[in-house]
Amino acid sequence: MNLQLLKYVIRYIERHAFKNTFLFIVLTLITWLLASIFFITNSMKYELSLGVDALPDIVLQNTKGGMRSTVDERVSEHILEIPGVKSVKGRVWGYYYFDAESLYLSLVGVDIFEPQERDSLVRLVNENEVPVNSMFVGEGVKALLARNYYSDYFNFIKSDGTKKRINIAGTFTSAISLESNEMMVMPKNELRDIFGYTEHEATDIAIDVANKTETPMLALKLQQEFPNMRVVVKDDVKVFYENIFNYKNGLFLALFTIVLFTFFVIVYDKLSAISSADKREIGILKAIGWRVEDILKAKLYEALLISFNAFLLGLVLALAFVYFFDAPIIQDIFIGYTTLKPSFELIFVLDIDTLFLLFVLIVPVYTLATLIPAWRIAIVDADEVIR
Amino acid sequence: MIELINVTKSFDAQQVLKELSLRFDEGELIVIKGKSGSGKSTLLSLIAGLAKPTSGEIIVDGKHISKLPEHFCSSYRRDNIGMIFQKYNLIETLSVKENILLPLVPLNLSEELLEKRVAEQMHTFNISHKADELIKYLSGGEQQRTAIARAHIADPKIILADEPTANLDEVLSKNFIEMLEKMKSKNKTIIVATHDPLFFELDFVDRIIDFDS
Repeated sequence: MNLQLLKYVIRYIERHAFKNTFLFIVLTLITWLLASIFFITNSMKYELSLGVDALPDIVLQNTKGGMRSTVDERVSEHILEIPGVKSVKGRVWGYYYFDAESLYLSLVGVDIFEPQERDSLVRLVNENEVPVNSMFVGEGVKALLARNYYSDYFNFIKSDGTKKRINIAGTFTSAISLESNEMMVMPKNELRDIFGYTEHEATDIAIDVANKTETPMLALKLQQEFPNMRVVVKDDVKVFYENIFNYKNGLFLALFTIVLFTFFVIVYDKLSAISSADKREIGILKAIGWRVEDILKAKLYEALLISFNAFLLGLVLALAFVYFFDAPIIQDIFIGYTTLKPSFELIFVLDIDTLFLLFVLIVPVYTLATLIPAWRIAIVDADEVIR
Repeated sequence: MIELINVTKSFDAQQVLKELSLRFDEGELIVIKGKSGSGKSTLLSLIAGLAKPTSGEIIVDGKHISKLPEHFCSSYRRDNIGMIFQKYNLIETLSVKENILLPLVPLNLSEELLEKRVAEQMHTFNISHKADELIKYLSGGEQQRTAIARAHIADPKIILADEPTANLDEVLSKNFIEMLEKMKSKNKTIIVATHDPLFFELDFVDRIIDFDS
């Protein structure tokens, strides 16, 4: 490293402080915005993958008049006799509109004798009892209820209009923030009471398959067995979620394109225009014995000092914006799959490939945009440049 | 030793130098006189390797300058040539000291050595008191002394001065001539392109070449 050259470059940046500060701020903002987009989409993808992994292999839903209806969970015994089926259970779950906050909460019924499909529920059932007339809520839900003066219990309005008091037995955590921020877990029968279900009524039937490659075959068999029901395979749900995600990702792609376009306009401007003062300075440097390599090395230092520092600052700002402040404004695009959700926290996911892509998009492109015009001037006879 | 053999230089359709042959010996002080456009500055540019001749040969200490690739031309210039331009060609937003140091920047010398050399040059050319002043705030004479110090700092064997007194009054021109004498005493080969009559009667000038004739 030539320290004298570095000193000259720092003085050059100082001497053109307005232009360089402007470029530094623009590059920082571009990096911040692009990095924020990448961080949010990566976290969402990760969260989505966690959610999809927790899904049962096959879900059996009843329909009435084309609308989803409840199912009698006693069909489980019949399904369990089909070869290849590993486990079957009737699930009781749904949404509850919480008027005070104008949002939907997810209600999930559990039976401690049944296998649980979500890690958070497995932990909950293993570590706690879920007593009658009680529920466990996600930490986000707990805070939400407390804000509305429900610290020990909550009064649900049942389907017949009467109220049902359920005590809050405790909270649970989940790696999936949307899960922990919206879910209330209680014994199945309490939930049946709230929803107005009869004793064996369930929302749907969840089926796990022993050999995953046989899932399509088993789905076909179930469809033949229960022609009135809708058989939903995990992969179909995955595609559905991904479509929603991709739609939202599309919005970000549009934003990404605009930001990138802005960046390339700046790069183009830098490539096509070099000031007469800069041309003269390059000519003088050549005339006093600087080689083309010396000039390019100085320009390389200059471009790296500006772009790399802007890249680092943009990255730090993006990390703080996304993971510390939970991406205000931008997060609205992502909140909720289909309904309003109480709160939103992004899981920290460090994807080296993404960082590398961002680095390549910003630092080398900007560096080349600085080097190329300088090189074009530097290879001309110094005599011509000075004249 | 500098030797030009049948050197021709054209800019587009205009021929500035035509089959010029000259020889300058080591330690000589030569004044090239002539009107504007007679090719004096072009001759200096060719010797400095800032431009290439259209035809002919330029040989400096046995090296064919006109045939050197750009990379070697810059190195040759850095090691052998000190240029003093008519308009000084200083970087206005840098200080006196920073301008003088510029030729040494690519060499990555130690801070102490650079300080020592720049202090010597500033002292020799009487500009130490303006060391940290930006060029744009200097008078013409101060700018010229800075340009001379810059041309001298790498201790080149050849000093080329293009119309060095064109922007100076008589007193400052005489100061410059004193500095020229100092450089000559250090056995530098000095070529001055000028139409200032002040140079034509100096007793330490070895030769005057008239481009008008």
